[in-house]
Amino acid sequence: MSKTLAYYPGCSLHGTSGEFDASFKATARALGLTLQEIPGWECCGNTAAHSINRLLAAALPVNELAKVEQDMKLDAVAVPCAACYSRFKTGAHEVEDDEQTASDVRAVVGRAYNGGVEVQNLIDVYHDAVGLDELAAKVTRPFAGLKIACYYGCLLTRPPKVTLADDPEYPMHMDEVVKALGCTPVDWNYKTDCCGAALALTEQQIVDDLVGRILTDAKACGADAVSVACPLCQVNLDGRQTEMMRGKSDWQPIPVVFLSQLVGRAIGLGDKELGLKKHLIDITAVMA
Amino acid sequence: MATTCTPSVGLAQTVGKGCGENAYKCYQCKKCTTGCPVAGYAGMHPAQIMRAVQLGQLDMVFDDKFIWLCTGCETCTTRCPQGIDIAAIMDELKIIARRDGRIPAGTPSAAMLKLNYDSFVRWGRMWEVELITLDVLKRPMSAKSWLALGPKMMLKGKINPTLKRGDTVAMKRMVATAESITRTRQNAYEAAAANAQKAKDAPAAKAKPAPKDGGAS
Repeated sequence: MSKTLAYYPGCSLHGTSGEFDASFKATARALGLTLQEIPGWECCGNTAAHSINRLLAAALPVNELAKVEQDMKLDAVAVPCAACYSRFKTGAHEVEDDEQTASDVRAVVGRAYNGGVEVQNLIDVYHDAVGLDELAAKVTRPFAGLKIACYYGCLLTRPPKVTLADDPEYPMHMDEVVKALGCTPVDWNYKTDCCGAALALTEQQIVDDLVGRILTDAKACGADAVSVACPLCQVNLDGRQTEMMRGKSDWQPIPVVFLSQLVGRAIGLGDKELGLKKHLIDITAVMA
Repeated sequence: MATTCTPSVGLAQTVGKGCGENAYKCYQCKKCTTGCPVAGYAGMHPAQIMRAVQLGQLDMVFDDKFIWLCTGCETCTTRCPQGIDIAAIMDELKIIARRDGRIPAGTPSAAMLKLNYDSFVRWGRMWEVELITLDVLKRPMSAKSWLALGPKMMLKGKINPTLKRGDTVAMKRMVATAESITRTRQNAYEAAAANAQKAKDAPAAKAKPAPKDGGAS
Protein backbone atom coordinates (compact mmCIF):
# COMPACT_ATOMS: atom_id res chain seq x y z
CA MET A 1 0.00 0.00 0.00
CA SER A 2 1.28 3.34 -1.06
CA LYS A 3 1.79 5.80 1.78
CA THR A 4 1.19 8.81 -0.45
CA LEU A 5 -2.46 9.35 -1.24
CA ALA A 6 -4.09 11.84 -3.54
CA TYR A 7 -6.63 13.90 -1.61
CA TYR A 8 -10.05 15.04 -2.80
CA PRO A 9 -11.68 17.21 -0.09
CA GLY A 10 -14.89 18.11 -1.95
CA CYS A 11 -17.08 21.19 -1.55
CA SER A 12 -18.48 20.49 1.94
CA LEU A 13 -15.07 20.05 3.56
CA HIS A 14 -14.15 23.47 2.21
CA GLY A 15 -17.54 24.87 3.33
CA THR A 16 -19.69 23.85 6.29
CA SER A 17 -17.40 21.06 7.48
CA GLY A 18 -14.00 22.70 7.85
CA GLU A 19 -13.33 20.69 11.01
CA PHE A 20 -13.70 17.47 9.03
CA ASP A 21 -11.04 18.64 6.55
CA ALA A 22 -8.72 19.84 9.34
CA SER A 23 -9.07 16.76 11.53
CA PHE A 24 -8.68 14.37 8.59
CA LYS A 25 -5.50 16.07 7.37
CA ALA A 26 -4.03 16.27 10.89
CA THR A 27 -4.62 12.57 11.58
CA ALA A 28 -3.29 11.49 8.19
CA ARG A 29 -0.09 13.44 8.78
CA ALA A 30 0.33 12.04 12.30
CA LEU A 31 -0.27 8.50 11.04
CA GLY A 32 2.50 8.74 8.45
CA LEU A 33 0.43 9.37 5.32
CA THR A 34 1.26 12.08 2.82
CA LEU A 35 -1.80 13.69 1.25
CA GLN A 36 -1.52 15.49 -2.09
CA GLU A 37 -4.60 17.54 -2.89
CA ILE A 38 -5.72 17.17 -6.52
CA PRO A 39 -4.78 20.48 -8.20
CA GLY A 40 -7.78 22.50 -9.43
CA TRP A 41 -10.25 19.82 -8.34
CA GLU A 42 -13.87 20.21 -9.31
CA CYS A 43 -17.20 19.32 -7.74
CA CYS A 44 -18.00 15.59 -8.06
CA GLY A 45 -21.49 16.52 -9.27
CA ASN A 46 -23.06 15.57 -5.92
CA THR A 47 -26.76 14.73 -5.69
CA ALA A 48 -27.71 17.12 -8.46
CA ALA A 49 -25.76 15.79 -11.44
CA HIS A 50 -27.11 12.24 -11.38
CA SER A 51 -30.69 13.48 -11.38
CA ILE A 52 -30.12 16.05 -14.14
CA ASN A 53 -27.44 14.71 -16.50
CA ARG A 54 -26.37 11.11 -16.05
CA LEU A 55 -23.33 11.38 -18.33
CA LEU A 56 -21.94 14.43 -16.55
CA ALA A 57 -22.44 12.65 -13.21
CA ALA A 58 -20.16 9.83 -14.38
CA ALA A 59 -17.65 12.11 -16.09
CA LEU A 60 -16.91 14.57 -13.25
CA PRO A 61 -15.45 12.04 -10.79
CA VAL A 62 -13.74 10.09 -13.58
CA ASN A 63 -12.02 13.33 -14.64
CA GLU A 64 -10.55 13.60 -11.13
CA LEU A 65 -9.51 9.94 -11.20
CA ALA A 66 -7.75 10.49 -14.54
CA LYS A 67 -5.82 13.39 -12.98
CA VAL A 68 -4.73 11.20 -10.08
CA GLU A 69 -3.72 8.36 -12.39
CA GLN A 70 -2.01 10.29 -15.19
CA ASP A 71 -0.96 13.71 -13.84
CA MET A 72 -0.19 12.84 -10.22
CA LYS A 73 0.84 9.24 -10.99
CA LEU A 74 -0.67 7.93 -7.75
CA ASP A 75 -2.62 4.72 -7.26
CA ALA A 76 -5.03 5.73 -4.49
CA VAL A 77 -7.18 8.73 -3.58
CA ALA A 78 -8.65 9.53 -0.18
CA VAL A 79 -12.22 10.87 -0.43
CA PRO A 80 -13.44 11.44 3.14
CA CYS A 81 -16.85 12.87 2.17
CA ALA A 82 -19.24 9.91 1.86
CA ALA A 83 -21.24 11.52 -0.96
CA CYS A 84 -18.14 12.34 -3.03
CA TYR A 85 -16.82 8.84 -2.30
CA SER A 86 -20.03 7.36 -3.67
CA ARG A 87 -19.83 9.47 -6.86
CA PHE A 88 -16.18 8.42 -7.39
CA LYS A 89 -16.94 4.72 -6.91
CA THR A 90 -20.05 4.93 -9.10
CA GLY A 91 -18.25 6.78 -11.90
CA ALA A 92 -15.40 4.26 -11.88
CA HIS A 93 -17.90 1.38 -11.82
CA GLU A 94 -19.93 2.77 -14.73
CA VAL A 95 -16.98 3.23 -17.09
CA GLU A 96 -15.73 -0.24 -16.25
CA ASP A 97 -19.15 -1.82 -16.58
CA ASP A 98 -20.51 -0.28 -19.78
CA GLU A 99 -18.72 0.25 -23.11
CA GLN A 100 -21.04 3.04 -24.29
CA THR A 101 -20.73 4.99 -21.02
CA ALA A 102 -16.96 4.55 -21.12
CA SER A 103 -16.73 6.00 -24.62
CA ASP A 104 -19.09 8.92 -23.82
CA VAL A 105 -17.20 9.70 -20.62
CA ARG A 106 -13.93 9.60 -22.57
CA ALA A 107 -15.36 12.23 -24.95
CA VAL A 108 -16.41 14.49 -22.06
CA VAL A 109 -13.21 14.13 -20.03
CA GLY A 110 -10.95 14.32 -23.08
CA ARG A 111 -8.90 11.25 -22.18
CA ALA A 112 -9.34 7.70 -21.00
CA TYR A 113 -9.18 6.62 -17.38
CA ASN A 114 -7.61 3.18 -17.07
CA GLY A 115 -8.97 2.15 -13.69
CA GLY A 116 -5.66 2.40 -11.87
CA VAL A 117 -6.81 4.33 -8.80
CA GLU A 118 -8.23 2.88 -5.62
CA VAL A 119 -10.89 5.11 -4.05
CA GLN A 120 -10.76 5.14 -0.24
CA ASN A 121 -13.35 6.59 2.12
CA LEU A 122 -12.55 7.83 5.62
CA ILE A 123 -12.97 4.40 7.20
CA ASP A 124 -10.84 2.72 4.52
CA VAL A 125 -7.98 5.13 5.22
CA TYR A 126 -7.79 4.19 8.90
CA HIS A 127 -8.84 0.56 8.53
CA ASP A 128 -6.77 -0.35 5.46
CA ALA A 129 -4.27 2.34 4.37
CA VAL A 130 -3.03 2.76 7.96
CA GLY A 131 -4.20 -0.58 9.34
CA LEU A 132 -5.77 -1.45 12.69
CA ASP A 133 -2.55 -2.66 14.34
CA GLU A 134 -0.57 0.35 13.20
CA LEU A 135 -3.38 2.65 14.37
CA ALA A 136 -3.60 0.98 17.79
CA ALA A 137 0.18 1.31 18.14
CA LYS A 138 -0.09 5.10 17.61
CA VAL A 139 -2.76 5.56 20.30
CA THR A 140 -1.35 7.55 23.21
CA ARG A 141 -4.55 8.75 24.87
CA PRO A 142 -6.98 5.82 24.57
CA PHE A 143 -10.65 6.44 25.37
CA ALA A 144 -11.80 4.73 28.56
CA GLY A 145 -14.50 2.66 26.90
CA LEU A 146 -16.54 5.61 25.58
CA LYS A 147 -19.68 4.06 24.07
CA ILE A 148 -19.96 4.94 20.39
CA ALA A 149 -22.80 4.33 17.94
CA CYS A 150 -21.03 4.03 14.58
CA TYR A 151 -23.28 5.66 11.99
CA TYR A 152 -22.40 4.74 8.40
CA GLY A 153 -25.43 6.30 6.72
CA CYS A 154 -26.24 5.45 3.13
CA LEU A 155 -23.41 5.87 0.74
CA LEU A 156 -20.41 4.29 2.46
CA THR A 157 -21.94 0.86 1.95
CA ARG A 158 -24.67 1.17 -0.69
CA PRO A 159 -25.13 0.00 -3.34
CA PRO A 160 -22.82 -2.96 -2.58
CA LYS A 161 -22.20 -3.71 -6.29
CA VAL A 162 -20.38 -0.36 -6.35
CA THR A 163 -18.89 -0.02 -2.85
CA LEU A 164 -18.05 -3.73 -2.33
CA ALA A 165 -18.81 -3.10 1.38
CA ASP A 166 -18.15 -5.88 3.88
CA ASP A 167 -21.83 -6.00 4.84
CA PRO A 168 -24.12 -3.29 3.44
CA GLU A 169 -26.79 -3.79 6.12
CA TYR A 170 -24.56 -4.18 9.17
CA PRO A 171 -21.03 -2.97 8.40
CA MET A 172 -18.28 -3.32 11.03
CA HIS A 173 -15.16 -1.51 9.77
CA MET A 174 -15.85 1.75 11.62
CA ASP A 175 -16.69 -0.25 14.76
CA GLU A 176 -13.29 -1.94 14.47
CA VAL A 177 -11.53 1.42 14.10
CA VAL A 178 -13.16 2.98 17.20
CA LYS A 179 -12.40 -0.18 19.16
CA ALA A 180 -8.71 0.28 18.33
CA LEU A 181 -9.00 3.74 19.95
CA GLY A 182 -10.30 2.34 23.24
CA CYS A 183 -13.97 3.08 22.56
CA THR A 184 -16.75 0.53 22.96
CA PRO A 185 -18.89 0.33 19.80
CA VAL A 186 -22.55 -0.34 20.62
CA ASP A 187 -24.79 -2.81 18.84
CA TRP A 188 -27.65 -0.75 17.41
CA ASN A 189 -30.29 -0.69 14.70
CA TYR A 190 -29.85 2.46 12.61
CA LYS A 191 -26.25 2.09 11.40
CA THR A 192 -27.15 2.44 7.73
CA ASP A 193 -30.49 4.28 7.80
CA CYS A 194 -30.81 7.53 5.85
CA CYS A 195 -30.68 10.86 7.74
CA GLY A 196 -32.60 12.65 4.98
CA ALA A 197 -29.49 14.09 3.37
CA ALA A 198 -30.11 17.20 1.23
CA LEU A 199 -33.82 17.26 2.17
CA ALA A 200 -32.55 19.30 5.15
CA LEU A 201 -32.61 22.27 2.77
CA THR A 202 -36.19 21.81 1.64
CA GLU A 203 -38.14 19.31 3.79
CA GLN A 204 -37.01 19.93 7.36
CA GLN A 205 -39.90 18.01 8.95
CA ILE A 206 -38.89 14.77 7.21
CA VAL A 207 -35.27 15.20 8.26
CA ASP A 208 -36.32 15.90 11.87
CA ASP A 209 -38.34 12.65 11.89
CA LEU A 210 -35.48 10.57 10.45
CA VAL A 211 -32.81 12.14 12.64
CA GLY A 212 -35.03 11.72 15.71
CA ARG A 213 -35.47 8.01 15.02
CA ILE A 214 -31.74 7.43 14.47
CA LEU A 215 -30.63 9.28 17.60
CA THR A 216 -33.37 7.85 19.81
CA ASP A 217 -32.15 4.35 18.95
CA ALA A 218 -28.49 5.31 19.50
CA LYS A 219 -29.36 6.56 22.98
CA ALA A 220 -31.61 3.57 23.75
CA CYS A 221 -28.72 1.26 22.88
CA GLY A 222 -26.50 3.04 25.38
CA ALA A 223 -24.33 5.25 23.18
CA ASP A 224 -22.57 8.30 24.68
CA ALA A 225 -21.87 9.75 21.23
CA VAL A 226 -22.43 9.04 17.54
CA SER A 227 -19.47 8.73 15.17
CA VAL A 228 -19.96 9.76 11.53
CA ALA A 229 -17.92 9.75 8.32
CA CYS A 230 -20.05 12.09 6.19
CA PRO A 231 -20.33 15.91 6.38
CA LEU A 232 -24.04 15.98 5.57
CA CYS A 233 -24.87 13.28 8.16
CA GLN A 234 -22.94 15.34 10.71
CA VAL A 235 -24.74 18.60 9.89
CA ASN A 236 -28.13 16.86 10.01
CA LEU A 237 -27.61 14.79 13.17
CA ASP A 238 -25.94 17.70 14.98
CA GLY A 239 -27.89 20.68 13.63
CA ARG A 240 -31.42 19.28 13.64
CA GLN A 241 -31.05 18.32 17.32
CA THR A 242 -30.97 21.98 18.28
CA GLU A 243 -34.33 22.37 16.49
CA MET A 244 -35.73 19.25 18.16
CA MET A 245 -34.76 20.60 21.56
CA ARG A 246 -37.00 23.60 20.90
CA GLY A 247 -39.94 21.38 19.98
CA LYS A 248 -39.42 18.63 22.54
CA SER A 249 -38.03 20.23 25.66
CA ASP A 250 -37.18 16.83 27.18
CA TRP A 251 -34.84 15.90 24.31
CA GLN A 252 -31.45 15.02 25.76
CA PRO A 253 -28.80 15.93 23.18
CA ILE A 254 -26.19 13.40 22.08
CA PRO A 255 -22.85 14.57 20.62
CA VAL A 256 -22.13 13.77 16.96
CA VAL A 257 -18.41 13.55 16.20
CA PHE A 258 -16.41 12.83 13.08
CA LEU A 259 -14.46 9.58 13.15
CA SER A 260 -11.37 11.65 12.30
CA GLN A 261 -11.86 13.65 15.51
CA LEU A 262 -12.01 10.46 17.60
CA VAL A 263 -8.85 9.18 15.92
CA GLY A 264 -7.10 12.53 16.43
CA ARG A 265 -8.00 12.72 20.12
CA ALA A 266 -6.75 9.16 20.72
CA ILE A 267 -3.41 9.74 19.00
CA GLY A 268 -2.86 12.89 21.05
CA LEU A 269 -3.68 15.75 18.68
CA GLY A 270 -4.85 19.12 20.06
CA ASP A 271 -8.46 20.27 20.36
CA LYS A 272 -7.91 23.18 18.03
CA GLU A 273 -6.56 21.24 15.07
CA LEU A 274 -9.47 18.81 15.46
CA GLY A 275 -12.06 21.64 15.49
CA LEU A 276 -13.78 20.33 18.61
CA LYS A 277 -15.52 23.66 19.27
CA LYS A 278 -17.30 23.80 15.91
CA HIS A 279 -20.26 21.60 16.76
CA LEU A 280 -23.69 22.86 17.77
CA ILE A 281 -24.15 20.09 20.35
CA ASP A 282 -21.10 20.33 22.61
CA ILE A 283 -18.67 17.45 22.11
CA THR A 284 -15.86 18.62 24.37
CA ALA A 285 -17.13 16.62 27.38
CA VAL A 286 -16.99 13.26 25.58
CA MET A 287 -13.68 14.19 23.94
CA ALA A 288 -12.02 15.28 27.21
CA MET B 1 -53.08 10.41 -5.69
CA ALA B 2 -53.50 11.28 -9.36
CA THR B 3 -57.04 11.51 -10.64
CA THR B 4 -56.30 11.85 -14.34
CA CYS B 5 -54.98 9.12 -16.60
CA THR B 6 -52.51 9.71 -19.41
CA PRO B 7 -51.13 6.32 -20.44
CA SER B 8 -47.86 6.07 -22.33
CA VAL B 9 -46.84 2.75 -23.85
CA GLY B 10 -43.27 4.01 -23.98
CA LEU B 11 -42.57 5.11 -20.39
CA ALA B 12 -40.81 1.93 -19.25
CA GLN B 13 -38.86 1.87 -22.54
CA THR B 14 -37.82 5.51 -22.18
CA VAL B 15 -36.70 4.84 -18.61
CA GLY B 16 -34.79 1.76 -19.76
CA LYS B 17 -33.14 3.67 -22.58
CA GLY B 18 -31.97 6.36 -20.18
CA CYS B 19 -30.66 4.30 -17.27
CA GLY B 20 -30.43 0.74 -18.58
CA GLU B 21 -32.89 -0.67 -16.03
CA ASN B 22 -35.82 -2.95 -16.87
CA ALA B 23 -38.84 -1.85 -14.84
CA TYR B 24 -40.84 -4.89 -16.03
CA LYS B 25 -38.76 -7.15 -13.79
CA CYS B 26 -40.57 -5.75 -10.73
CA TYR B 27 -43.10 -8.22 -9.25
CA GLN B 28 -44.36 -5.98 -6.46
CA CYS B 29 -42.78 -7.63 -3.40
CA LYS B 30 -42.57 -4.10 -1.91
CA LYS B 31 -39.21 -4.54 -0.21
CA CYS B 32 -38.25 -1.17 -1.72
CA THR B 33 -41.19 0.52 -0.04
CA THR B 34 -40.59 -1.20 3.30
CA GLY B 35 -37.04 0.12 3.51
CA CYS B 36 -37.68 3.55 1.99
CA PRO B 37 -37.09 6.40 4.49
CA VAL B 38 -39.53 8.75 2.70
CA ALA B 39 -42.23 6.28 1.58
CA GLY B 40 -44.81 7.72 3.98
CA TYR B 41 -44.39 11.34 2.98
CA ALA B 42 -45.99 11.41 -0.49
CA GLY B 43 -49.05 10.02 -2.24
CA MET B 44 -47.05 7.28 -3.95
CA HIS B 45 -44.38 4.90 -2.65
CA PRO B 46 -41.55 3.21 -4.60
CA ALA B 47 -43.41 -0.03 -5.48
CA GLN B 48 -46.37 2.01 -6.75
CA ILE B 49 -44.04 4.14 -8.85
CA MET B 50 -42.58 0.94 -10.35
CA ARG B 51 -46.07 -0.34 -11.19
CA ALA B 52 -47.07 3.00 -12.71
CA VAL B 53 -43.92 2.95 -14.87
CA GLN B 54 -44.76 -0.56 -16.10
CA LEU B 55 -48.30 0.57 -17.00
CA GLY B 56 -47.15 3.86 -18.51
CA GLN B 57 -49.21 5.92 -16.05
CA LEU B 58 -47.55 9.29 -16.54
CA ASP B 59 -49.86 11.28 -14.25
CA MET B 60 -49.48 8.87 -11.34
CA VAL B 61 -45.70 9.18 -11.57
CA PHE B 62 -45.30 12.85 -12.38
CA ASP B 63 -48.18 14.55 -10.53
CA ASP B 64 -46.99 13.10 -7.22
CA LYS B 65 -44.03 14.52 -5.34
CA PHE B 66 -42.52 11.14 -4.37
CA ILE B 67 -39.67 11.09 -6.89
CA TRP B 68 -38.58 14.52 -5.63
CA LEU B 69 -38.40 13.28 -2.03
CA CYS B 70 -36.17 10.33 -2.96
CA THR B 71 -32.84 11.01 -1.23
CA GLY B 72 -30.91 8.47 -3.32
CA CYS B 73 -30.10 6.43 -0.19
CA GLU B 74 -29.94 3.28 -2.37
CA THR B 75 -31.73 1.05 0.15
CA CYS B 76 -34.27 -0.07 -2.50
CA THR B 77 -31.48 -0.82 -4.98
CA THR B 78 -29.57 -2.81 -2.37
CA ARG B 79 -32.56 -4.92 -1.30
CA CYS B 80 -34.43 -5.52 -4.58
CA PRO B 81 -34.60 -9.33 -5.09
CA GLN B 82 -34.78 -8.76 -8.85
CA GLY B 83 -31.59 -6.70 -8.84
CA ILE B 84 -33.32 -3.62 -10.24
CA ASP B 85 -31.46 -0.38 -9.60
CA ILE B 86 -34.62 1.37 -8.40
CA ALA B 87 -32.77 4.50 -7.26
CA ALA B 88 -31.44 4.86 -10.83
CA ILE B 89 -35.02 4.65 -12.11
CA MET B 90 -36.05 7.42 -9.68
CA ASP B 91 -33.17 9.54 -11.04
CA GLU B 92 -34.26 8.82 -14.61
CA LEU B 93 -37.84 9.85 -13.78
CA LYS B 94 -36.50 13.14 -12.40
CA ILE B 95 -34.57 13.65 -15.64
CA ILE B 96 -37.67 12.91 -17.75
CA ALA B 97 -39.90 15.14 -15.58
CA ARG B 98 -37.50 18.05 -15.95
CA ARG B 99 -37.11 17.51 -19.71
CA ASP B 100 -40.87 17.25 -20.29
CA GLY B 101 -41.83 20.11 -17.97
CA ARG B 102 -43.68 17.84 -15.53
CA ILE B 103 -42.36 19.05 -12.16
CA PRO B 104 -45.42 19.55 -9.93
CA ALA B 105 -45.96 22.70 -7.88
CA GLY B 106 -44.84 22.55 -4.26
CA THR B 107 -41.62 20.59 -4.77
CA PRO B 108 -38.81 22.88 -3.60
CA SER B 109 -36.41 19.92 -3.77
CA ALA B 110 -36.64 19.95 -7.57
CA ALA B 111 -35.69 23.64 -7.68
CA MET B 112 -32.90 23.06 -5.16
CA LEU B 113 -31.32 20.37 -7.35
CA LYS B 114 -31.20 22.83 -10.25
CA LEU B 115 -29.70 25.61 -8.05
CA ASN B 116 -27.09 23.12 -6.94
CA TYR B 117 -26.30 22.03 -10.52
CA ASP B 118 -26.07 25.64 -11.73
CA SER B 119 -23.80 26.52 -8.81
CA PHE B 120 -21.12 23.94 -9.55
CA VAL B 121 -21.40 24.53 -13.28
CA ARG B 122 -20.82 28.26 -12.67
CA TRP B 123 -17.94 28.03 -10.21
CA GLY B 124 -16.51 24.57 -10.75
CA ARG B 125 -17.54 23.82 -7.17
CA MET B 126 -20.81 23.92 -5.32
CA TRP B 127 -21.08 27.08 -3.22
CA GLU B 128 -23.33 26.37 -0.23
CA VAL B 129 -23.92 30.04 0.65
CA GLU B 130 -25.15 30.78 -2.88
CA LEU B 131 -27.62 27.88 -2.76
CA ILE B 132 -29.21 29.06 0.45
CA THR B 133 -29.34 32.71 -0.65
CA LEU B 134 -30.99 31.91 -3.98
CA ASP B 135 -33.41 29.51 -2.28
CA VAL B 136 -34.50 32.20 0.19
CA LEU B 137 -34.98 34.68 -2.67
CA LYS B 138 -37.11 32.12 -4.53
CA ARG B 139 -39.30 31.18 -1.59
CA PRO B 140 -38.95 33.68 1.24
CA MET B 141 -40.82 31.37 3.64
CA SER B 142 -37.79 29.05 3.66
CA ALA B 143 -35.85 31.82 5.42
CA LYS B 144 -37.75 30.88 8.59
CA SER B 145 -35.88 27.60 8.94
CA TRP B 146 -32.54 29.29 8.28
CA LEU B 147 -33.19 32.00 10.86
CA ALA B 148 -33.16 29.28 13.49
CA LEU B 149 -30.08 27.33 12.40
CA GLY B 150 -28.09 29.72 10.18
CA PRO B 151 -26.87 32.20 12.82
CA LYS B 152 -25.92 29.36 15.21
CA MET B 153 -23.84 27.73 12.49
CA MET B 154 -22.28 31.06 11.60
CA LEU B 155 -21.29 31.72 15.21
CA LYS B 156 -19.52 28.37 15.31
CA GLY B 157 -17.65 29.24 12.12
CA LYS B 158 -19.46 26.42 10.30
CA ILE B 159 -20.50 28.62 7.39
CA ASN B 160 -17.66 29.63 5.15
CA PRO B 161 -18.91 32.53 3.01
CA THR B 162 -15.89 32.72 0.70
CA LEU B 163 -16.17 31.33 -2.79
CA LYS B 164 -13.56 28.77 -3.78
CA ARG B 165 -13.48 28.05 -7.48
CA GLY B 166 -12.50 24.86 -9.22
CA ASP B 167 -11.13 24.74 -12.77
CA THR B 168 -14.09 26.60 -14.27
CA VAL B 169 -12.85 26.37 -17.87
CA ALA B 170 -12.59 22.58 -17.72
CA MET B 171 -15.97 22.39 -15.95
CA LYS B 172 -17.75 24.43 -18.63
CA ARG B 173 -16.17 22.35 -21.40
CA MET B 174 -17.24 19.07 -19.76
CA VAL B 175 -20.78 20.31 -19.10
CA ALA B 176 -21.18 21.52 -22.71
CA THR B 177 -19.93 18.19 -24.13
CA ALA B 178 -22.04 16.07 -21.78
CA GLU B 179 -25.20 18.07 -22.48
CA SER B 180 -24.59 17.96 -26.23
CA ILE B 181 -24.02 14.17 -26.30
CA THR B 182 -27.11 13.64 -24.13
CA ARG B 183 -29.23 15.85 -26.44
CA THR B 184 -28.01 14.11 -29.60
CA ARG B 185 -28.83 10.66 -28.17
CA GLN B 186 -32.26 11.84 -26.98
CA ASN B 187 -33.12 13.30 -30.41
CA ALA B 188 -32.06 10.07 -32.13
CA TYR B 189 -34.16 8.02 -29.69
CA GLU B 190 -37.24 10.20 -30.22
CA ALA B 191 -36.84 10.09 -34.02
CA ALA B 192 -36.49 6.28 -33.98
CA ALA B 193 -39.55 5.93 -31.72
CA ALA B 194 -41.60 8.21 -34.00
CA ASN B 195 -40.55 6.21 -37.09
CA ALA B 196 -41.41 2.91 -35.41
CA GLN B 197 -44.83 4.29 -34.49
CA LYS B 198 -45.40 5.48 -38.08
CA ALA B 199 -44.44 2.07 -39.47
CA LYS B 200 -46.84 0.41 -37.04
CA ASP B 201 -49.72 2.74 -37.90
CA ALA B 202 -49.26 2.69 -41.68
CA PRO B 203 -50.42 -0.86 -42.62
CA ALA B 204 -53.26 -0.70 -40.08
CA ALA B 205 -54.57 2.50 -41.59
CA LYS B 206 -54.46 0.95 -45.06
CA ALA B 207 -56.28 -2.22 -43.98
CA LYS B 208 -59.33 -0.53 -42.46
CA PRO B 209 -60.28 2.98 -41.40
CA ALA B 210 -60.14 3.70 -37.69
CA PRO B 211 -63.47 3.31 -35.86
CA LYS B 212 -65.25 6.57 -35.14
CA ASP B 213 -64.65 6.48 -31.36
CA GLY B 214 -61.14 5.05 -31.84
CA GLY B 215 -58.99 7.63 -30.05
CA ALA B 216 -61.49 8.79 -27.45
CA SER B 217 -60.87 8.07 -23.81
